[in-house]
Parts: sequence; C-alpha cells; structure tokens
Amino acid sequence: MDKPVQTPISRTARLLDLVPYLATHQGIELSALADVFGVTQSQMIADLTTLWMCGLPGYTPLELMDLSFESGFVTINNAETLSSPRTLNDEETIALLLGLDLVIESLPEDRQDLRGLALALVKRLSLRTNVRAKLAAIPAVAGSTIAVIESALSKKQYLGMTYHSLYSDTISNRVVFPLELRSEGGVEYLFGVCQSASATRMFRLDRIQALELASIPAEPVLEIQSGDTIKTSYRIRVHSRPRDAAERFALDSASVLTDPEISSFSNEWVRRSVLASSGTIELLDPPHLRREVVTAAKSILTIYQRQ
Amino acid sequence: MRTVSRKIERLINLTIALLATKRYLTKQEIFRSVDGYEGSEETKERMFERDKDDLRNLGVTIDVGSFDPVFEDEAGYRIKPEAYALDLGNISGTEIALLSLAAEAWRGAALDGAAHSALTKLRSIGVESDLDALPAIAPRLTTSFSGFQTIVNAISKRDRIAFTYVSATLETHLRTIEPYAIATRDAHWYLAGRDIDKDDVRTFRLDRIDGEISIVKNNGRFEIPQDFDVFASLMNEQRSKIATIDIRKGKAQLLRSTALSLVDKGEWDQITINYLDSPYIVDLVLWHGEDAIIIGPESLRSEIIEALETIVRVHG
Repeated sequence: MDKPVQTPISRTARLLDLVPYLATHQGIELSALADVFGVTQSQMIADLTTLWMCGLPGYTPLELMDLSFESGFVTINNAETLSSPRTLNDEETIALLLGLDLVIESLPEDRQDLRGLALALVKRLSLRTNVRAKLAAIPAVAGSTIAVIESALSKKQYLGMTYHSLYSDTISNRVVFPLELRSEGGVEYLFGVCQSASATRMFRLDRIQALELASIPAEPVLEIQSGDTIKTSYRIRVHSRPRDAAERFALDSASVLTDPEISSFSNEWVRRSVLASSGTIELLDPPHLRREVVTAAKSILTIYQRQ
Repeated sequence: MRTVSRKIERLINLTIALLATKRYLTKQEIFRSVDGYEGSEETKERMFERDKDDLRNLGVTIDVGSFDPVFEDEAGYRIKPEAYALDLGNISGTEIALLSLAAEAWRGAALDGAAHSALTKLRSIGVESDLDALPAIAPRLTTSFSGFQTIVNAISKRDRIAFTYVSATLETHLRTIEPYAIATRDAHWYLAGRDIDKDDVRTFRLDRIDGEISIVKNNGRFEIPQDFDVFASLMNEQRSKIATIDIRKGKAQLLRSTALSLVDKGEWDQITINYLDSPYIVDLVLWHGEDAIIIGPESLRSEIIEALETIVRVHG
C-alpha cells in the first residue's frame, strides 16, 4: 500500500475514522491498528496522542476522550460523539459500486440469493451519490479463477486447467504448478510450470476456461527448462491503421512508421497477426514467413472462389 | 510539528462541538467554547474560515442557519449527525462480506486508496464480515491508469474534462467531453460522454488517452441523460449486425465461443455471430486462417476477399 500523504487534512480524516474503528475494535493490538490504517506504529502513537487532547467543550477529563494504549493494546472511551463511521465520499462510493458490479458478474449462477443482496447494496449506495448506475464493470476473468489460483499458490498445489490457446487455436487440458500471478499491460497472467512441457509458461487468465486444484501431491519442481526460448526478430511495414498496429505489436507511436522490428517467441502468432491485419501490415522479414503469409492468403482466397 | 497537531486537534474539537450541539452555534460561541481559537478577533475569524473549508474538503457537511430570531443576522453552525454518519440501515455480515470483496477488487489498482478507506468505515460499523457465506471468488479490477480518479471525480461533480486522444491514424486531438460513465469490458476501460465539439456521445478507450486529463471549468453543470446506458453506448448494441461464418470442426475457438447459433455441416460448423464494425470482424476471421470462412452478408464477403487480395499484393 502507498504511504498516505501526511497533510493536516489527511491526518484529521484518519483521526476521525480512527475513533469509530476503535469503538468497535476495543483492545486491538497497536501494530494491527497501524496496519489497518496503513501507517507506522510510531505514527499511530502520534495519532492517538493527538486524539487524547480532543473532546467536548470544557476539555476536562470528563469531556476528553479516554484513550489507553501504553500496554500495546488500544481502547477508547467517552467518544460517543464521533463513534459513528463517517459517511462514504463519492470516490469511495464509486469504488464500491464498480467493485460490486464485478462481484455480481463473478458470482456463480446458482447463487441468485447473493446476487439479489449485492444488487440491493448497489441500489442503496447509488442513492448516496450523484453517480447513479453510470458505472459498469464486466470482468474479463472468471471470478473464481483468481481465488483458485491464490489458494493453489498458498497451498503449493498443482492446478488442472482447461486452456484456450489463441496462437494454436486449441483447447487443451493441462496440469500446471503455479509460481505467481503477473499483470502486464492490464492483462493478467498465471506464470507457472506446465507439466506436459516441463517448462515455464504464461497463461492468460481470461483464456482459462476451467480450473481446479489438482489432487497431485505437490513436490518441488526440479529441472525446469526455461520456457523463454529465444525470441525471433521480425520486421514489419505499416501501410495504414497505425494505431491498431501499435496496439497489436506493443509499439510506441514514434516507431510505427519506420519499419519497426518486433520480436516474438512464436512464428504462429506473427503469421496470424499479419493475416489479421487485413493487408494494413506487410511482413518484411524473415522471407520464409513472408512467403507463408502469401501462401495462406492465396489458399483462403481459393476457398472463397470455390463457393 | 506542534502547530500542525494543534491544527488537527482544533479541527477534531470543532467537529465534536458542532456534532454534539442540538442548536446552531454562533461564531462567538465557538470561539469561546472550542479549544484552539486564540489571538485577535481577526486571527480567529481567519482560522475559522479555513477550518470550515478544510472540514468541507473532508466531506463533512456544515449546516449554516439560525433559529433564534434575536440573532437573526448572525449565522450559526452545526453538523447534523445524520449527514455526518454512514447510514446503510440494517446490514448483515453477508452484506459486509460482499462489500469487502468489492473493495478488495481494487487491490493495487487505481481506486485502491478510496476502496481501502471505504472498507475501514464499513468495518467500523461493528458487524463482523461473514466471508464464509460467500463462494470462493476474488474478482479483480486492473487499471493503474493515472487519470482514473480525475475522471471519477469529474463524473460525480459533473465537470467537463479535456484530454489528448490518439486517433486511428495515430494523430492526437484535444477532446473536450462531459463525462457520463466509466466502464470495463474485455480487459479494457472505457469512458463514455458527450463530445462537446462533435455534439454527440462517444466512447474512449482509457489506454488511448495521451498524457494528463484536465478539468475544464465551465458555467453550469451538465446533466447525464436518465436513460443513458453505458454498455449500449459502448457496444452500439442497436447497430450490431449478424454475420454467418463457416468454421472448421474443432477449430476457431474464439469465434465458436461467441456464436449465437451453430449448425453442424459435417466437416464444418456454420455459426452466426454479432459484430459491430467491419474492419474488426474481418481481422478476427482472418486470424483463423483457413479455418473460418465468411458466408454472409455478401458485403462482408467482398471485404474479406479484398483484404486477402491486399495481403497478397503487398507481399507480392
């Protein structure tokens, strides 16, 4: 978590939120409390010390809030006025609304009960903000996918998955030992050891069609071959639709129009990408792949002409 | 350091005093009773004005009014507890768990901070989150787009925004829009709103915004149309067309997964799918090479044939 910016305003906000939290978590450990608010223990002590000086007008011990934290456990008394949590601001409400949207879409079909509860929460929260039903989140990744992977990661267990490979246009069942979840350019991947290939592979989470913990006893994976076989270089020329080319090949806009060199692990991916650019991209090198592209285009044309 | 904590103490004490009072407090009453207002009359006035602004920036609504005819000319201040406190009505442990899951979805992403502080407030209600009531799901929102908060705030405050947008030809144009909605689908985030110059509702992909987003000060706030539906706008659903495509058995998984209908034709399956604009459906079908052939409509067939001829020509 980012360290909150220390302005008097943000500290005041934290102190106002600290009181109701303490009121419902009496006796919480100082270190746990510091974690909840994302600050160091010494900052938390400074916060509590400041709160100690606050209370109702009069400011005698009768009016001041009564805090105790010397023992390492924090309790609060005489703080009724501030003991309700503050109302959510717009940004917090929007964060929850978008998150709820995603939760609703991620719930399994047979949990209509939870769906109903979540929809009712959306309604209740929407009434509290200017932003009414103008938000929508549809997840790219099935809701249970990350939960299952996280559980496999923590239990060090194998995963059985049905995976759709876009490059090879196949759906296959694989057994994978998960190493970590990675996110690149907004797309999430599972990085793991594919058992059948005995090599590390990246799996796009949105292409995992089914996933479960495999009942294979986990053993340390030995002798992994790196899946990162050598990347090949290709050169392309962009004839039109440069933004599409830049996004497809992850190029920056400056290099798109200067016959950029790209690199990939997979001839198959490059061949398909060039075909799928509808002639807006020309593959310059390597020559053999260039010939393959032409051959493929010609044989597809033949099919069209037959019909 | 001491003056900073004095300031914080004063803000907290002011909040407590204004929350606890049943009637409006005049400025003089506040200066007399709330700890921390010191110095000349002018100094105290300045302090109080700043404190009021600071509390408002924290989202605390200070009510200004007067109920006593004797003090007709003098404003009084209070904070109504019902405006200050979070009120979600009766809330169950299952509901808290759903909201927690919603907040957790932002872990590491754009609204992480707001989601975290919302979660702290929810946990302060004192209802234990009943996570066991939920199935094991961990949905994630992934965007670290730096302008996300600016857009969210602009939508809630109905502010116009301006940004540089990369066109299909990689040219950049300044766009000024009234933002209506933000949405995610297929791993991309979209912003929908009325483009001022084009006087039409448009959608923008966040990753095509180049540089900072700025707030444009304008007189009067705009209205978001009541019937605005972000996904209809995003997906142009009213304008979607249907293509018929032959796909080879066991192949073209991506097209297969979006099929509206499927007819077994032996070596091939014939499917129908929805599509929006022609360049992208042609691209998508060509990705599958000899395993996917467009059957109709005729115009789309002509387009794909033309695209194939172009591929042969540029590589000739």
